[in-house]
Amino acid sequence: MIGTKQDALIEITQLVKQYVMGRETVTVLKGVSLSVYPGDFVAIVGPSGSGKSTMMNVIGCLDTPTDGSYKLDGTEVRGLSDNKLADIRNKKIGFIFQGFHLLPKLTALENCELPLIYRGLPAKQRREMAMTALEQVGLGERVHHRPSELSGGQQQRVAIARALATNPPILLADEPTGALDMKTGQEVLSLIEELNRKGHTIVLITHDMDVAKRAGRTVVMRDGELTETVGRRETHEAQPRLPDGVQERLVEQA
Amino acid sequence: MKLSQGFRMAFKSVWSNKLRTALSMLGILIGVATVIALVGMGQGSKNQVEQQVASLGTNSLSVTITGRGTATSLSLEDALALADISNIEAVAPTVSGNATVKYEKTSTDVTVEGITGHYETVNDFSVQSGRYIAPVDVRNTQKVALIGVDTATELFGSDDPVGEVIAVNGSRFTIVGLLESKGSSLTGSNDEKILIPITTAQKMFDSVGVRSISIKVEDLDRMDQTVAALEASLLETFRGDDSSYRVFNQEDAVETLNSVNETMNTMLLYVAAITLVVGGIGVMNIMLVSVTERTREIGIRKSLGAKRRDILFQFLVEAVVISGIGGALGIGAGFLGSEAIGIANGTDTSVPPQTVAIAFVFSAVVGVVFGIFPANKASRLKPVDALRHD
Ligand SMILES: Nc1ncnc2c1ncn2[C@@H]1O[C@H](COP(=O)(O)OP(=O)(O)O)[C@@H](O)[C@H]1O
Ligand SMILES: [Mg+2]
Repeated sequence: MIGTKQDALIEITQLVKQYVMGRETVTVLKGVSLSVYPGDFVAIVGPSGSGKSTMMNVIGCLDTPTDGSYKLDGTEVRGLSDNKLADIRNKKIGFIFQGFHLLPKLTALENCELPLIYRGLPAKQRREMAMTALEQVGLGERVHHRPSELSGGQQQRVAIARALATNPPILLADEPTGALDMKTGQEVLSLIEELNRKGHTIVLITHDMDVAKRAGRTVVMRDGELTETVGRRETHEAQPRLPDGVQERLVEQA
Repeated sequence: MKLSQGFRMAFKSVWSNKLRTALSMLGILIGVATVIALVGMGQGSKNQVEQQVASLGTNSLSVTITGRGTATSLSLEDALALADISNIEAVAPTVSGNATVKYEKTSTDVTVEGITGHYETVNDFSVQSGRYIAPVDVRNTQKVALIGVDTATELFGSDDPVGEVIAVNGSRFTIVGLLESKGSSLTGSNDEKILIPITTAQKMFDSVGVRSISIKVEDLDRMDQTVAALEASLLETFRGDDSSYRVFNQEDAVETLNSVNETMNTMLLYVAAITLVVGGIGVMNIMLVSVTERTREIGIRKSLGAKRRDILFQFLVEAVVISGIGGALGIGAGFLGSEAIGIANGTDTSVPPQTVAIAFVFSAVVGVVFGIFPANKASRLKPVDALRHD
């Protein structure tokens, strides 16, 4: 593995996630292990339904694992109280969702201020930090627009700004281009790449190989199991074994 | 999160979701307003009845002779003799009937009551100008009359009726006094009548005895003994036939009327309570309908680091603001409504403060409970489940 000397930001070992549906227990993550180091740009790629979003929800402390260990920045997350988890989400993680998840009644600026409000910062400082983040994503001119007055790409950039506003060590993006057309999707990806170059650690989730190729490192999720791939060649060769993902990509490109 | 920021966030949410805010406020407003208006109306009619009853006086009794024929009627002398019973201050026998009164070209139908001078004390009904019926008028069967203010206005306009001569059923009567204005009581209008000496009335209506006697009692505490003595005296007069007369205690009448009024008020209260519940269900519906949208919102807020208490605080403030303003507006609307009903019915309405308090508290509790109940549920969800909610 890479950079074992440095402390891992995310260290997941033998993580299991099960859902109980009625009498059946579905095991979605079957003992996955993953380490992410500061400055990494990791793509988790895999067909739809393979458990990528579940993985991200656990990494983002939106969901709790059934078994295994998850250390975030050196702290074991499993078993922490709701309030502790809320703190971790607020301080350590910035989310970028497929569906943006902006609050419709708030302006771009207010949306970006939200995580800072929950951090308890004074108004002036909040405003400055939110403005800086919006300028960083190129939306300095549109701060008083509501989501409904913005295009999809712009909304996703507001969401990215909101994730950046708190300066979290990790950015988690789940299919950030999924709801966007090719061109705006590319723009958003370039923005994410740029953020990585500036030192942000990024975990990107996608079913699209072309998107995954932009990451420095790709791990493949298949049926709840994670395999590390080294280098881009291998990823390409892996394509025929991912009929679902390819099909979806083709549909999207059509 | 800071407290002040929580307030600001809640107010912002209330303000920016105008339709939802307005609809939930409306439910509370209607509930509170209806209760206040209905109870105000009920109280108004209760007060009115009480006033009318009070104007009759609780220290008065009335005797009605129900028997027929000479053996079972009470002569004027017998009636006046009842004044000898201890604790009876005055006795006012009356003989009444209807008659047409005419002055020049104007004529009208009125109640004519034959009275004695004691009528003034017993019924607390005096003249504003002229003189009252005197004992000499009764003794000599004089054709003199006291006239009620409404009848006077009808016949004479604004002219002074005292001294004028009118025709009552064709007989000429001199008006000697103008009665004071007394308004209506339970027995009908007091201002549309003519009072003449009882002996004159007996002649005019061809009635031998007296059928109705009002009695004023000196000491209210000894009412029971007085009634007993009165009944004993009447029983003797009627030679043991106790079905020929009835003694009404004004207090009994008040109690009966009050119980009727209580029943009506209780019914109004039920209606009001139903309205409150219906209003509450309205509020509940609005709150529950917006639950999907709000659960997502809660998921988003939690993903950004909101704690459960942050969410609950925001929703609590929102619910309190909506219920509080809705309730306050409802109180205003309720008072206006009860005023309007009062003006329309010509009655005084009055709203007891505890009704206002109960209506307000009930609606506020409904608003707050249904405002935070779904929020409480959603805030317990894991963020991932709240985000996925649909
Ligand atoms: N809350 C849940 N309850 C039951 N099953 C779930 C739940 N969430 C996800 N799953 C199941 O877990 C599997 C993986 O889902 P997901 O992580 O969303 O896949 P991906 O993001 O890779 O498309 C799917 O089969 C899905 O049906
Ligand atoms: Mg997914």
